[in-house]
Amino acid sequence: MIGRIRTLISNSQRFIPVAATALLALSAYGLGAAFYPGMRDPQVFFNLFRNNAYLLISAIGMTLVILTGGIDLSVSGVMALTTVAAAALLREGWNGWLVILTMLVMGMILGAVMGSFIAYMKVQPFIATLAGMWFARGMCFFISDDAIAIKDSRVYTILGQTRILIPGLSDPVAQTGDYVTIPAVVGLLLLAVVMYIAHYTRFGRTIYAIGGNEGRNEVSAQLMGLPVQTTKVLVYTFNGFCSALAGIALSIFVLSGHGLYANGAELDVIAAVVMGGTMLTGGEGYVFGTLFGVMIFGITQTLIQFNGSLSSWWTRIVIGVLMLIFIGVQSALSARKGRRRRAKGAGGPIMGVQRRRILTFGGVGVIVVVILSVILFNVIQPPTGDASTDSTPTAGSASCEFQPYRRDEAAALAEEGAVIVYERNGGPNCIDELYAIYPDGRIVGDNGETTVEREVPPEEVDRLLANIAEYGWFTDEMYNTWHTPCKQCYGYYLTVVYDGQEKTVRGVDGGTDAPADYWQVISLVKGIVPELPSTQ
Amino acid sequence: MSTFKSGFSLRKVTESRLFFPFVALALILLFDLIAVPGFFRISTRDGNLYGNLIDIVRNASTVSLLAIGMTLVIATGGVDLSVGAVMAIAASVAALLMNPYVLATELPPNIQEMMNDPYFTYQPLWVVILAALAVSIICGLWNGILVAYGRIQPMVATLILMTAGRGIAQLITNGVRIQIFYEPYAFIGQGWIILPFSLYLVAIVFAVAWLLTRKTAIGMFIESVGTNARSSFFSGIGEKKIKLLAYTFCGLTAGIAGLVASSNIKTSDAFNLGQTKELDAILAVVIGGTLMSGGRFSLLASIVGAWVIQAITTSMYAVGVPAFALQAIKAVVVIFVILLYSEQVKNFVQKVTAQKKEA
Repeated sequence: MIGRIRTLISNSQRFIPVAATALLALSAYGLGAAFYPGMRDPQVFFNLFRNNAYLLISAIGMTLVILTGGIDLSVSGVMALTTVAAAALLREGWNGWLVILTMLVMGMILGAVMGSFIAYMKVQPFIATLAGMWFARGMCFFISDDAIAIKDSRVYTILGQTRILIPGLSDPVAQTGDYVTIPAVVGLLLLAVVMYIAHYTRFGRTIYAIGGNEGRNEVSAQLMGLPVQTTKVLVYTFNGFCSALAGIALSIFVLSGHGLYANGAELDVIAAVVMGGTMLTGGEGYVFGTLFGVMIFGITQTLIQFNGSLSSWWTRIVIGVLMLIFIGVQSALSARKGRRRRAKGAGGPIMGVQRRRILTFGGVGVIVVVILSVILFNVIQPPTGDASTDSTPTAGSASCEFQPYRRDEAAALAEEGAVIVYERNGGPNCIDELYAIYPDGRIVGDNGETTVEREVPPEEVDRLLANIAEYGWFTDEMYNTWHTPCKQCYGYYLTVVYDGQEKTVRGVDGGTDAPADYWQVISLVKGIVPELPSTQ
Repeated sequence: MSTFKSGFSLRKVTESRLFFPFVALALILLFDLIAVPGFFRISTRDGNLYGNLIDIVRNASTVSLLAIGMTLVIATGGVDLSVGAVMAIAASVAALLMNPYVLATELPPNIQEMMNDPYFTYQPLWVVILAALAVSIICGLWNGILVAYGRIQPMVATLILMTAGRGIAQLITNGVRIQIFYEPYAFIGQGWIILPFSLYLVAIVFAVAWLLTRKTAIGMFIESVGTNARSSFFSGIGEKKIKLLAYTFCGLTAGIAGLVASSNIKTSDAFNLGQTKELDAILAVVIGGTLMSGGRFSLLASIVGAWVIQAITTSMYAVGVPAFALQAIKAVVVIFVILLYSEQVKNFVQKVTAQKKEA
């Protein structure tokens, strides 16, 4: 019996990284659900797919590229180019389906060109795709400097708003209940197709044969007569297709196009693939694991949003630490495999390698955990009291509705002499708060039930206004972005009156579309307003 | 460039590591000579030199600094993707020590008035600089340990710090862009002593790196590790220590670059500072003729590579190409330059010329 279990384990050892990722994703979600009752709502789970559909689609293509031992940095650029070009063509009155088709072809052409450079000109994948990214991003601004809104396109509206209800968790007659969106379904379908291609076709086997062993496998594959160069071009072409598809999913999600969208997304995509258990050297890994990599990414973001007191940059730190852990596990596993191989052969003298590696990783891991726990302890300390009292009412209010923007009230306040009107809606607790800041330093907040007031020195208001203006509030850099917030996201509206100018910019967190400086401004304003009792 | 030729045979010149970067630079400057009248004009103000050429080398100083460290790392067969994030971390540490108002704890009550004084700093300048550099050295050590002792592939190992580093930088500054009011600090990036001060910094770092690699055996060891790590190990070279040294040095140069960049804009912007600078630095090294697979390297060629990148940018602005179009043009130039090095293209050209001779 024990022997059978042992063979089972040793036979399925190659699945350990994937299994670890899946286990981590599920346990992270379970922990979240235990701490934050709001996360027990199944819709939060389905939102993982909804909000990260573009990431999943792009990560699937990236997995194949990484399996061949290459890398593609151009995905974010192609995604941005797709959003801008699609928005521009739709504005010209093109049919939505035709636009999507054109975009997919465009992505494939870009991918094919980069692939040819890599395969036939022997340009480093890193360099070739870097140039591809710059090219695509540059092209975005040739098309348009500003964000282009996608309006009255029937196809995009249908694709974006159709709710695919989950059987058993929804009411098909009333069209209510838990749902996913079409891009999420497309992502999952693509996953299935690519899994088939990777594991059951000749093309897929060639991909696995090319990658790994520091490029030596590529030579072996070539000598075996496999179509190495053609496969490489095809893989980059396919990734171009995936990037374009991801760009379409993104533009359906945010219903606009801009050259700065998806900035840095290539890193998120690569991180998701690595966390999914694919080796960056290529040749080892599973497309299926990428799904869990993307899910870990989404869950981290969700947890941080639910916590409410952690800032968005914690996502990056957590992802970095998770990557370290995963790479450590992978490295230890491959060391073990190498040792076994060596033991089978001439007998290995380098037994100390693994122990040293374990010591290194153990040491590094302990340091990281200690530092993180110290920081986390300090960060989380103050709001813990609130959070525990706060999460109880949320349990019942799983069906809370997103509050509409109190536009008239905000306009009236601005008319009355308020220099900053700041509204925050939504979030896990469905808050709806509106603040007005007056030049004399008076700050009034209101969440529909309670009112709070605070007095700050007038100079502080002046400085805040000057700071906001310096962030380019009244320039084109600060543009409106909007999509329906996910259940745990906040919607923001900020009106600023300064030097005779007035401008309102709105945005939703949890997306990738709003300009970075917008969040800087929001955090500045957040720092000055008093807290309402119902929020964290 | 003409002095370069004298005393050498033509063949020796074209085979030199510096040949292609200088040709690329010369081509771009030739373009400026034709397309932009007065591009080469250099004026003096208060005894300091100003002009487009000075601008190019001054604006390239950040990438030059990064490129020096990156050259050593790439020569060992690795790559450091985290330099941009390390720049942000170093700048954040420096800014926090000079202007810690974001922490809002244990500050003197008259902090506001003190901050209006351009010579106010919370910690003396040397503490600021040493602390920032110490932090960046720790970042470099971290990368080095992961690569050399953890045996993780360099791209992945440094990707960790690249992802987490920007988060850490934002954590340090609490997500706020800290403005730097302290005038002496601004001198690092904005000061001039006949030539821009940052240029002297580049020269010092270059001199240190050059002495370290060309006057000791370290340079040879680095090339040996990059060419074949395994046989270097067997021939008794402390392969791991060499790698550790390269990554640590790269972290240090990234820290210096972070100081220059933040004092240039008098702000520490944890989110944007050094964003995509790692790509520029790698590109500079590649233009400088060092192979991504490691091996032989030339520090000077990498710096020329940084100048090439900046020369493209400056001359495009001078011609009037809008900023947004720059990236696309940069991409085309990059591909062109890389193809110049490509073996395939060289072979192709050789084949064509050989056919001509036959005919």
